[in-house]
Parts: sequence; C-alpha cells; structure tokens
Amino acid sequence: MFEWFSSIQWEYLYDFELAIDSLPFLLEGLRITMIIAFFSMIFSLILGIFLGVARMSKLWFIRWPARIYISFMRGTPLLVFIFILYYGLPVIGIEFTSAVVAGIVGVSLNFAAYSAEVVRSSIMSVPRGQWEAAASLQMNYVQTMTKIIIPQATRIALPPTFSIFMDVVKGTSLASVITVQELLYSARLVSGRTYDSMTMYITAALIYWVVCIVIGYFQNRLEKRYNRYLSDTH
Amino acid sequence: MIEVTSLKKSFEQIEVLKSIDFTVNKGEVVCLIGPSGSGKTTLLRCLNLLETPDAGTITIGNSTVSFNTILKKREIKELRQYSGMVFQGFHLFPHKTVIENLVTAPITVKKGDKATIQQKSEQLLEKVGMSEHKNKYPDALSGGQQQRAAIARALVMEPEVMLFDEPTSALDPQLVREVLKVIEGLANEGQTMVIVTHEMNFAKRIADKILFMDEGYIVEQGEGNQVITNPQQQRTKEFLSLLEED
Repeated sequence: MFEWFSSIQWEYLYDFELAIDSLPFLLEGLRITMIIAFFSMIFSLILGIFLGVARMSKLWFIRWPARIYISFMRGTPLLVFIFILYYGLPVIGIEFTSAVVAGIVGVSLNFAAYSAEVVRSSIMSVPRGQWEAAASLQMNYVQTMTKIIIPQATRIALPPTFSIFMDVVKGTSLASVITVQELLYSARLVSGRTYDSMTMYITAALIYWVVCIVIGYFQNRLEKRYNRYLSDTH
Repeated sequence: MIEVTSLKKSFEQIEVLKSIDFTVNKGEVVCLIGPSGSGKTTLLRCLNLLETPDAGTITIGNSTVSFNTILKKREIKELRQYSGMVFQGFHLFPHKTVIENLVTAPITVKKGDKATIQQKSEQLLEKVGMSEHKNKYPDALSGGQQQRAAIARALVMEPEVMLFDEPTSALDPQLVREVLKVIEGLANEGQTMVIVTHEMNFAKRIADKILFMDEGYIVEQGEGNQVITNPQQQRTKEFLSLLEED
C-alpha cells in the first residue's frame, strides 16, 4: 500500500497547464456534444410522448408495436444500436451522410423509449378521481388530457425526464466511436498526443459534470414552478 | 326528472345492481342508504355513467338511454349534461385555484362568455361560503372547504340533478356540519338531488324520499323519513339497529 502510494508521480496526476491549453479544443468538442444532446432531448421527448400514449392505447395494433419498440430499446445497449445504425444500415443501402446525424438519430431513438415509460407512468399516476371529476363536468378525452391530466403528469414527470436529459448528454459520448468529434473524442485526441490520459479525461469529466449541473439548475426551477400549488407540508 | 328501470350492473362475476327501479321528481331530495357493498355508490355512479350499466334504462331530464343496446358516446354526453357529481374524495383539480376549478369546465365545454362564467362562479363561491378562499389551491384548504368548493364546481354547470356520493364520509367530524349545511341550503332552494349518505339524522331531516338498498336491490322506499322512523322490512330494521348500537 505504502509502496503504491509513494510510487505515484503527483506532478503527472493533473497538469493544469495542459488542461487550460487544450480547453478551447475541448470546448469545440463540447459544441458538437451539445448539438447532439439538444436535438436528441427534443426528438426523444416528442417521440417518447407518442410512444408512451401509444403504449397505453386500447387498440392492440397500436399498443404492441410501442411495447416491442420500448422493450427492444431499453433492452439493448445504445452503443450496439449506434453500431447497427452507422455500420449495419449501409449494408441495406441506408447510409448516414454525417456521423453527427447518425449520433442524433441513435441517441434520440434509444432514449425515446425511456421517455415513453416516464410519460406512461406519470400519466397513470394521476389519480382516477381526476378523470372522473373531469368526466362528470362533461369534459371530453382531449379536454381532460390537456387541461387536467397532462399539467399534473408533467409535475410528476419532471425529475425522471431531467434524469433522462442528463443521460442523453452523457450518452452522446458514445457517438465518439463512430468518429463524431465530440467532447470525449477531442479529449482522446489530446490524450493520444500528450500521453496524459488522466488530465484529459478528468477535464472531460468535469465538463460533462458542469453541463449536468446546469441542467439540474433548470430542473430545480421548473420543479419549483410546478410545485407551487402544493403547500409546504409535502 | 329521473326514471330508472330494471337497471343491472355486474363487476366480473359479482352482481352489484340486480334490478333497480325508482323515480325522482323535480325538486325532490332522495337519500340512498344501506350497508357498505349494497350498491348505493354504484347506482349513483351509473346515473352519471361513470359506470356503464349492463341492462335497463335511465331517463334524466329529456334524455333517455337504454343499456340493452351498445352505448354511444353522444348518449353519454347527452345524459351527463343533466347531472353534476360530488365525490366522497372531493377530486378538486389540485393544480388549479378554487375559482379556476369552477371556471375551467364551463369555459372549455360550454365555451361561454368568460366574464359571465367568472361572475356566476364567484356567486356560487359566495353561496357555499368560499369567497375568501377563491384564489387558494385545494391543497391549502381543509376537507370541508374542499368539498364545499367541489359542490360549487358541480353547480356551475347548472345541472338539473345533483348527485352526492357520501359527501361527508372523508371528513373529520367537526367539518361534516358545514358541508351538510350547504347541501341543506340547496335542498331548500328546490335543487333536485340524489344523496348517498351514512348520516341518518341528516337524511331524516332533508329527504323527501329515502331508498334503502341491500345486496343490489332497493329493499324499501318511502316518503319523507318513514324508512328510518318507521321501517317495514326486516333487513331495514336490522341495518338501522346496527347503526344505533354505535
């Protein structure tokens, strides 16, 4: 134990100078990361809402495809799915012109399944009495959904949705394996050149962390807004 | 005002309503009493089509629906517009203030003039003694206040008939009276009402007609408070004597 401890070359643990010098390069990577993350959040949320509603449909031919899709996406690694998209699909003539687009498609399609589950579970957690009260007031399905159920379900869905958003940001790092020059890819480039893996990957990790802290900040603000109708005892 | 004939309803294998016939005249207050599981609540929910009966017919106002054929959406909509429902658990919309709870349905469903609806809603809140709480969220209210707001919310749709499903069962004893007072006020104004209740003294006081239900049948019915003060059927007597023992 002591030998291992004394063998650490502390000066190599974190090279601030290298970190600062390579920061502009890493931030260029972060820009790509954020582009993929941003579009993936939007697309996965939209697709997730449709899938989640389809998953609850009374019609089996709508419900079952949604179920199978969700099951497949949740049951397979995103990395494998990205490989299928980028290296597999060209075999049947579908080729992505840009790896970034492939990354967005892969991340979106995968996380839509998780969003769908959040949508479904939060809608189902609105008490049945709310549906009944709306029905007794002659509101139809669409009116009940938009005025009564979705506003309440949104509050319930906020924390898990933001967890998904953070996972999306981190999931974009998998796009580096299909040559997308995002944050992790950039860190790896510098690390390969300087042989200072520790500094570069820790820096990359810190940048991901900061992004997620910002996302968490928005989560807090939204939660406060949506919780305003609850008294302090909750 | 209400006419129910041969109404039947089963859940899975259990026959909850075996064959129900009764009428309610305009301006009448009808109380449904009986032991738990007798079918009172199910009967009330059938009147609002929150449960779909298996057979029989229901007439409310000018709308008659037969359950011997497949129910159409239009029929549900038509029958529902004649009745308003007050639930045991209030079911106010928690994300809306008291006044918003009132105005949401008339604005979305009836697409009426907002100012008129707002004004009418405020009058109703005044009537149930909730004016000072109109901008509060339900979560900040006591159970009695929530239920009074829920009554106003049902009234704002101007139903011909008000249906009450054990309106005071979820309330602390000291809050029961304020809700019953509001309901009695409505009775005095001639509002037609069907009330499922366990409050026997309240039923005695307010009812123009009492129906005693047991095991899916209306076992006994009578004008005024006769069913409670002078029961004829053995099962009614047993039920009432059980209540007295408490």
